Amino acid sequence: MLKIHGISKSFGGINATNNVSIELKPNSINALIGPNGAGKTTIFNLITGKISVDKGKIFIGENNITNLKETVITHMGIARAFQITNIFPTLSVKESIKMALLAKTHGLNNMWDRFASHSVNEEADNIAKLAGLKKVYNTISSELSHGDQKLLDIALALALKPQVLLLDEPTAGMGPEERWEMIKRIKELWQKTKMTVLFIEHDMDIVFDIAQTIFVLQQGAIIAKGSPKEIKQNQAVIKAYLGGGKK
Amino acid sequence: MGFLKQDNFKRDVFLGIVVWLFLLLFFFIVPSAGIHDIIQKVFILGLFAMSLNILIGYLGLIAFGHAAFFAAGAYTLGLFLQSNVVNILGSLSIPIAIISAIFVSTVLAAFIGAICIRLKDIYFSFLTLAFQMLIYSIILALVNITGGDQGLMGGFPKPPFLGIDLGKPFDFYAFTIFISIITIILLRQLIESPFGYGLRMIRDNPERPAALGFNNQRHKLIAFIIAGSIAGLAGSLQALLDVGAYPEWAFWAKSAEPLFMILLGGMHSFLGPIMGAFIFEMLNDFVTANTRYYGLVLGLVILSFVLGLRRGLLDWLLIKFYRK
Ligand SMILES: Nc1ncnc2c1ncn2[C@@H]1O[C@H](COP(=O)(O)OP(=O)(O)OP(=O)(O)O)[C@@H](O)[C@H]1O
Ligand SMILES: [Mg+2]
Repeated sequence: MLKIHGISKSFGGINATNNVSIELKPNSINALIGPNGAGKTTIFNLITGKISVDKGKIFIGENNITNLKETVITHMGIARAFQITNIFPTLSVKESIKMALLAKTHGLNNMWDRFASHSVNEEADNIAKLAGLKKVYNTISSELSHGDQKLLDIALALALKPQVLLLDEPTAGMGPEERWEMIKRIKELWQKTKMTVLFIEHDMDIVFDIAQTIFVLQQGAIIAKGSPKEIKQNQAVIKAYLGGGKK
Repeated sequence: MGFLKQDNFKRDVFLGIVVWLFLLLFFFIVPSAGIHDIIQKVFILGLFAMSLNILIGYLGLIAFGHAAFFAAGAYTLGLFLQSNVVNILGSLSIPIAIISAIFVSTVLAAFIGAICIRLKDIYFSFLTLAFQMLIYSIILALVNITGGDQGLMGGFPKPPFLGIDLGKPFDFYAFTIFISIITIILLRQLIESPFGYGLRMIRDNPERPAALGFNNQRHKLIAFIIAGSIAGLAGSLQALLDVGAYPEWAFWAKSAEPLFMILLGGMHSFLGPIMGAFIFEMLNDFVTANTRYYGLVLGLVILSFVLGLRRGLLDWLLIKFYRK
């Protein structure tokens, strides 16, 4: 589904991404892990065209999307949620989701309908249900709990009906219970929609629980990839990442 | 009357007609030329301020050169009506002059906007201001055409059209308010449309829309052009009222006026800026009549709004009584 061939990116002298190759199978759920500053978010930024690739190529299906514009790549079927929640403070949950739905179909150029009564209402309803946001449907985004803000960020991505969904630390800043709830929700989403999912996560228990394939990143380079079982036994990973008696 | 509760185009048209008819009636109930003049000016300046509020209130862009478009509209109309074309067009002159004024300010806004919207924050504000001062200099420099610092002198004809003679006070009053109300209704539609929500989205978080596949720049440019064209319309009405056009209308202080109106009336309610224009005109008329310290009074009133209410009057009223 998503194929990344040896991409690199440096900022000044720092190789934030170093010859990274990743391939995601259709309908798979995958994790990208690595210590702080390993370059995980940078990879998401490269895939989505938020920043330009120095070297290498990225494909979605058969289409080469390397260094296309962020807006174009989004329309080609890649959506993301952000590490630091990235929502619209004065818009309600419902309004925000409708905006994303309209953005998907270029409906935001429409000047002749009223936004409030616009026909995407029902679809927005469904997305909110899917994301578990129905109970706060009419709440203004800035007044949501942190967890709901994270969910809204994901819901915005879901509204785009992407083929590939990138989630950057969906459980960041959550307590243990909230974390598992979020993960359950993501797993459910993935099962229902059959998107290809790539998520970044620090909690190893979570990663081993739901990821089919795990990519381990260190200093911009992939040092291991494989199933949870393989990663657990990988010496390089144990030494570099899990090393020092993780839990 | 159930449909009055619904926020839709039909309701707005209905309310617009009601307000218009009421103001026409008012013309005869209160036969004071001074008060009629204030009402006309409130609508003209209100249009000017509301057009700027598309950028400030809904898009979050502090444009500081908005008077450039007001002046462009005013001078276009004035020059058009002073030209020989009037002899050819006859009764079509005024409608076509107004359309030309809107057209010229639209083109100007497209040009200035295309350059300015690439910049953010204070740099955007500065650049809009720079363009306005450029327009101001051009008006002063082209003495033969614009009359330089004297302004567009000598008046111009206002040939009647469709039975409307803008030389007559009532006709002018009714016409100006009619055009303003139509524009306000259309603006309301724009602001409440998906397009209008796109503006709020950019204001709220300019980083996120690209990840939704949405092109901020294009949206901002369209909004900038629309704002400029409405300012041009306001300028053309002002020129019709004053039968002339003046370089001060392109001076930076003229751009500050709608900013004050927005501050006074409120940037978060649709009609805030026109309420601001009303307060502004009241201050202008009554304070200047009684004291020389107009600037001081205006400053104090704005300060008391900003520090006391912490928002414009209409914003404040809506929060207080409507819990919006
Ligand atoms: N736009 C940028 N300009 C300069 N340096 C950057 C930029 N983006 C990231 N970096 C640098 O690249 C490196 C990788 O950053 P990145 O955010 O990708 O790490 P990460 O793995 O997501 O870390 P974390 O777990 O803390 O989120 C860091 O050294 C960071 O400072
Ligand atoms: Mg990160």
